[in-house]
Amino acid sequence: MGVFSKLFDRQFREIFFSQLVSIMGGLIAGTILAASTDKLLLLPGMFILLPGFLELRGNISGSMAARLTSGLFLGVINPKHKRSKVVKGNTLASFILVSIISLVLGLLAFAFSYLAFGIFVPKIILIAVFAGILANILEIPITLFLTFYFFKKGHDPNNIMGPFVTSTGDITSIISLLVVMFLI
Amino acid sequence: MKPILRKHVWKHLKILQGIERHKYHPIIHKLRTKFGISKKTLFYVKEYGSHSNVPKTIIRESIKVLLFASLLSSLGGLALEHIKVLFVSILPLVILFPALNDMIGDYGIIISSRFSTLLHTGEIKRKWHHNLTLGKLFTQIFIVSILTTILSSVLALALSSFSSDYHLTLAIGIKVFLISIIDVVILVNGLFFISIIAGLHYFKKKEDPNNFLIPITTSVVDFGNLLILSLLVRLFFF
Repeated sequence: MGVFSKLFDRQFREIFFSQLVSIMGGLIAGTILAASTDKLLLLPGMFILLPGFLELRGNISGSMAARLTSGLFLGVINPKHKRSKVVKGNTLASFILVSIISLVLGLLAFAFSYLAFGIFVPKIILIAVFAGILANILEIPITLFLTFYFFKKGHDPNNIMGPFVTSTGDITSIISLLVVMFLI
Repeated sequence: MKPILRKHVWKHLKILQGIERHKYHPIIHKLRTKFGISKKTLFYVKEYGSHSNVPKTIIRESIKVLLFASLLSSLGGLALEHIKVLFVSILPLVILFPALNDMIGDYGIIISSRFSTLLHTGEIKRKWHHNLTLGKLFTQIFIVSILTTILSSVLALALSSFSSDYHLTLAIGIKVFLISIIDVVILVNGLFFISIIAGLHYFKKKEDPNNFLIPITTSVVDFGNLLILSLLVRLFFF
């Protein structure tokens, strides 16, 4: 086997195509972000909140997909019973974690804005919490449905869900931030 | 799972579910060797079995890492907040920002998990810099990162050219392109450096690098990405 075929093997293709999915989702999220710069990004503290907020979706839903996949492969979770104890436990844990971490992110954005720029924006705490919960309401059913769907179709959700969750997570996060900012 | 297991095996698994998670119990070894149940299955039964509180277990294990990641991301965001007005005025960079953030995080996960596997399988020993598998992984990640950065930058520039309010010039296009390439090259090299140093350290301490490398690398590179990005924006656009 030549150096070329050794380097551009199946592993290379898997990484490359999963990254393409990730890029597409990221660019859609970026376009929504760019279209709403006057509303979203000019609010003081929003840039402090945004990176952590975007990352949160991938961290929580990505781990949840990985845990469910392990359970499905091990036979501990039955793919026909989506309402099992482990699935319900994972959903509840993700909601509790999102609420706590969104509150922390909001508090950090508020504190850093005040300490570094002298700007008092308590509104950002509310935006972070409500947008976090709303994004999770959108993201969790997608994660659950797709993990079970890919597993039933004979795919390994571990290879697909990572980039998928980060991409859809970015989009749902930005839409949620916009909706909550509009409402508050 | 219950119907396919014999009654006495099920009885042992019930005992396993009741054991505190930090305790290693001889029953794990006994079940593994006697009934051929894999270590992963036993671990899953112990963690999320009928006697365990699933949400509590997940929250307890995830919360520290998530808090640490939130703090680092907010600190990185602080660097970006300083150049907010300038950053928002460069439309292609705003479009590129989530994609760049995702890409870097994904490479962190790939490099950490692959390096941990290489350590576990014994492919990496003391002279890691002569290791062919590691060299191949570095080359593959490097090529993928360059290709995907070029592609995403071109797409971000194309998308921003559609905006009627934004005037995209060749100079801005080249600067955005250079910023994204320099950012990714620095961070991919940094990722390998952190993974190798931290991975070897935890492996020497007889710990599983999988449990430490992914949170460490993703948090550090996310922070690094925001910091480098804000420095490069200042350098190219001030």
